[in-house]
Amino acid sequence: MVWFADISQEATPQTMFLQQLINGLTTGSAYALIALGYTMIYGILGLINFAQGEIYMCGAFVTVLLLATGQVPFLVAVAAGLIGAAILGLILERVAFRPLRGAHPLVPLISAIGASIFLQSLALLLFGPNNRPFPLTFDFAAMNLWGLPVNTLEAVILLAALGFMGLLVLFVRYTRYGKAIVACALDRDTARLMGINVDRMVSLTFVVGSALSGAGGIMMAIYYNATYPRMGFLPGLKAFSAAVLGGVGNIPGAILGGLLLGVAESLGAAYISSSYKDAIAFIILILVLLIRPQGILRGRGH
Amino acid sequence: MTAFIVHLAILAGIYIILAVSLNLIVGYAGQVSLGHAAFYGIGAYASTLVAMSWEVPYPLAALWAMLVSGLCGLALGLPTLRLKEDYLAIVTLGFGVIIDLVIRNLEITGGPDGIVGVPTPVILGLSFRNPLLYLLLVGLGVGFSLLFTYLLVNSYHGRALKAIRDHEITAQVMGINSPAYKVAIFALAAALAGLAGSLFAHYIKHINYESFGLHTSILIVCMVVLGGMGSILGSVLGAIILTVLPETLRQFQSYQDLIYGGLLVALLVWRPQGLLGKGKLSLKFLERKE
Repeated sequence: MVWFADISQEATPQTMFLQQLINGLTTGSAYALIALGYTMIYGILGLINFAQGEIYMCGAFVTVLLLATGQVPFLVAVAAGLIGAAILGLILERVAFRPLRGAHPLVPLISAIGASIFLQSLALLLFGPNNRPFPLTFDFAAMNLWGLPVNTLEAVILLAALGFMGLLVLFVRYTRYGKAIVACALDRDTARLMGINVDRMVSLTFVVGSALSGAGGIMMAIYYNATYPRMGFLPGLKAFSAAVLGGVGNIPGAILGGLLLGVAESLGAAYISSSYKDAIAFIILILVLLIRPQGILRGRGH
Repeated sequence: MTAFIVHLAILAGIYIILAVSLNLIVGYAGQVSLGHAAFYGIGAYASTLVAMSWEVPYPLAALWAMLVSGLCGLALGLPTLRLKEDYLAIVTLGFGVIIDLVIRNLEITGGPDGIVGVPTPVILGLSFRNPLLYLLLVGLGVGFSLLFTYLLVNSYHGRALKAIRDHEITAQVMGINSPAYKVAIFALAAALAGLAGSLFAHYIKHINYESFGLHTSILIVCMVVLGGMGSILGSVLGAIILTVLPETLRQFQSYQDLIYGGLLVALLVWRPQGLLGKGKLSLKFLERKE
């Protein structure tokens, strides 16, 4: 079906449903990008990096602060945001996780929680608790894409997210370093015997995973027009749910899980109850784990 | 000043019960729970509601809180404890978020405002309005929890739990029903958290969702890890330190969380087994080091 009417004026049940769907896919793509970070790091280290949400926040802040100076072009600021997120991931790995490798699994988990608290309060001290609007305004032109009520911004965010995911899949499948990361995820000791520098691959995983989370942060800073120190907290938790939903350690699973969760949350908030919006992700997670404890896509696919 | 110390002591006592009960799950059953504050909250509201609606005597209200929390623990534990520990972490965390939202939105829990005017416990005509007397009541709760935990972990069942924690497959081969043990210990720990919730609600008199969120769950986990997983004395120490430390850091209000998060990472890197960690966990750490 095709709707020619302006969507903002005429909200039929179908267009409302489709709008919620698009909205869900857009937030879902951010969840998917963070979930990719979680999944890659879990795949290689078996570690839940609770501070992933803070890396997401860092990416957004670097970009917003640079753009706010008014002298940095948009794409340069975005690149700087990705690099900032990657550097933060690298530092975290060195300081909070590497010394704890091989400890009881709970120990790095708590260390990650500590790092997350630290980074959140650091951001609170440096930038204050207020929302920062995104310094640039974008054209929110509504368009009809084959009958789908999308606005340009949503279309661009979705395309960019899909682009990042595609790049990641290509990187992991077809490059030397990508294959080395997979080898380390499959069996770290054998990978080392094959001459792979495991420590370097772990660092590389943190760099790539953190840059992806940072990209998600920048997208959501634009989409919601808000950047604040606690912005990464709930998306981080939900993205981890998304990663588990798709099967932790599984790259296509993380993408699928993120998108599904975003859509479910958006539809649930619209049709069931908006006050329980934040619970929806976890209810779905618990239900999925009860039926398929290994996640939707089984095993560690790359 | 004395009043402040008594206040701190009461809070520390409540947190000792919480930390010791979580330590049963984490340190003895080897499971991860990031939603312990949910059971704490369930206990607080269950005790408050039953005391306010039916004016039952306090011991019954406390028992009711333990029962309700314990049953919730059972309900969450039964389906989820066959999951791996990482998954369990996120499921319990999600449970905490869900309970937080439920408390915030239900009418019976007073919505975001919470409940004001929780009755003062009266036992055999003795009112516990005086904080010093209340400290005695909390002391009783702490004593009961410590005794119970101590007897449990040194019994046959405690040894079975440690066997599951150290090597689950071997434990199962030895005939230990590990899922049943995990669920049972989860429900027991939840019940103890419910007791802590009841003690907290009737002391603080005004409860709302803020006291039972993820922040509190993480605080309890930190107490256990700081003190050392699998050490009862460690949990007691961890609870006391993390109750008193934030109060002394209060003058540096804005740096409080910063110092707190930083200390946590530094401590774990320096001493992964916690301050009073038992040998077994730390040995495991040495063995598996690459």
